[in-house]
Amino acid sequence: MNSNKFFSFSRFYLLLRNDILLNRQKYLLTIAGAFIFGFVFLYMQMPKVERLDNQIPAFNGSRYVSVFALFLIGLGWFIATSFSELGDKVKTSNYLLMPASTFEKFLSQFVIRVVIGTSLLLVIFWADAHLARTVALSQIEGPNHEPASANVSKYIAEFHYSMFLVKHTNNNEPTYWRLAEGMALISFIFSIGMYLFSKKLFHKKNGFGKSRIISIVIIFSILFLMPDSNWFSEFNSFISNNIERQLQNGYTNIDIWRFSIAYFAPLFLIPFGYFKLKEKQL
Amino acid sequence: MIHIKNLSFHYKKNTPLFQDFSLDVDNGRIVGLLGKNGAGKSTLLNLIAGLSQPKEGSMEVNGFTPFDRNPNFLADIYMVPEEFSFPSISISCYVKAFSPLYPQFDQKKLNGILTEFELQLSSNLNKLSHGQRKKFLIAFALSSNCKMLVFDEPTNGLDIPSKSMFRKILVSSVTDEQLVIISTHQVKDIDTIIDKVLVIDNGTMIYQENIDAISQKLYFDTVTTLAGVDNVFYHEQCPMGYKIIIPATNGNESNIDLELLFNAIINKSF
Repeated sequence: MNSNKFFSFSRFYLLLRNDILLNRQKYLLTIAGAFIFGFVFLYMQMPKVERLDNQIPAFNGSRYVSVFALFLIGLGWFIATSFSELGDKVKTSNYLLMPASTFEKFLSQFVIRVVIGTSLLLVIFWADAHLARTVALSQIEGPNHEPASANVSKYIAEFHYSMFLVKHTNNNEPTYWRLAEGMALISFIFSIGMYLFSKKLFHKKNGFGKSRIISIVIIFSILFLMPDSNWFSEFNSFISNNIERQLQNGYTNIDIWRFSIAYFAPLFLIPFGYFKLKEKQL
Repeated sequence: MIHIKNLSFHYKKNTPLFQDFSLDVDNGRIVGLLGKNGAGKSTLLNLIAGLSQPKEGSMEVNGFTPFDRNPNFLADIYMVPEEFSFPSISISCYVKAFSPLYPQFDQKKLNGILTEFELQLSSNLNKLSHGQRKKFLIAFALSSNCKMLVFDEPTNGLDIPSKSMFRKILVSSVTDEQLVIISTHQVKDIDTIIDKVLVIDNGTMIYQENIDAISQKLYFDTVTTLAGVDNVFYHEQCPMGYKIIIPATNGNESNIDLELLFNAIINKSF
């Protein structure tokens, strides 16, 4: 056994192995469930009849994005099962007594739920999108049940992740996300993920109610922080008329403020979660 | 080795459980931790295992501060709690997942103890009875060869043959390097295996003595009448008359009646 009290690769490997051995059935079912759900949902959304008057592609990036959003909710649920042992006194005791450092325990959950979970989500969605498109295209036919035209392969856009670089606004005119904006969105999604990841560590008493309240606050914060959101239109128009100033880089001072919150939120959530685990008591 | 000095602990601020509590126990012993319900036994075990943090005072177990939860400390302590829960996996899968985390784990020893307890490696843990699961945990704890083994009510749920098997296996497998703490209400289940008695009441250590010293100081007997018996420290009625504790004289030794001793201590008879 390595004497390093903070991190040892051998201990970390054993901890990951332990988690996978104990939960392998649950993980396999989750992967299979996500794959089947993704395929069925995408396939059902894809057109089965070629309508030549429709714009091509009829099933474009924005349609993929809406299904991907459901996948992200599923990932959020999976991440929220982190530290599941801490919901029960007996399991908490077993978990805290496992011979590994707090950092190794925290990191192992992060690697399995966030890193591997997100990677698998991306792979599964990619595979689902391609499989659903292949199956849908093989079955597609004309409006009067005639064979589809030779151009049918363009009818459902081929999925690739660079589609997500295009921002779909209310006026349906595709524009590319600006770098800081896109990074802020990713950072926000990461913040939500980090909150879900460590929520079992934050709330010992009345955890259910507290996590619901904080979830609502986070959702409203996101809506508020989204520049194109109509949810806080009056407030946003007050801001834009009175406080907002255009900067030279194309952003406004409010954008910078919003991005700063988005970037820094995970920096607080991660260490806070770690120290909550370190000080966890029965 | 446990070294506790002036420890204070409370769950609610105005109701201290331990105040100025001190304790020293060396390795190579099987210690019986006795006390009434709510006396603080389980809390003391949690503090020793690093599951709770003392409010004041110093605490050292095997050279570590327990609440630091140093992985090397955790790899050398195994706690069998009164209540437990297992994932729905086989014994062999559980052993495969957890045994590598304990560097001194002895697979052969585990196989031997499981055979004695009539448990199969292929059995699903959640399909076993409470007693069988407890036997598995005891087997795993003893096979971990941890320097510190903590048992909270280990014989609860065990049938009579299993209780005697537990005593036999425990005595034969514990080495001088190890310290075993057994907290229990079932004092008769452990009276032949412990070599030190600790009694706590309301968070205070009210009695600690080695079994040898008790044998030299006290004599346990059953008499039909108290008439003519001098210097009775404590007595209780029983079907045959009275169980008594009197001073041991002339080097006479008797079997220690741990339950009687416990009642005498709680009733402050000496």
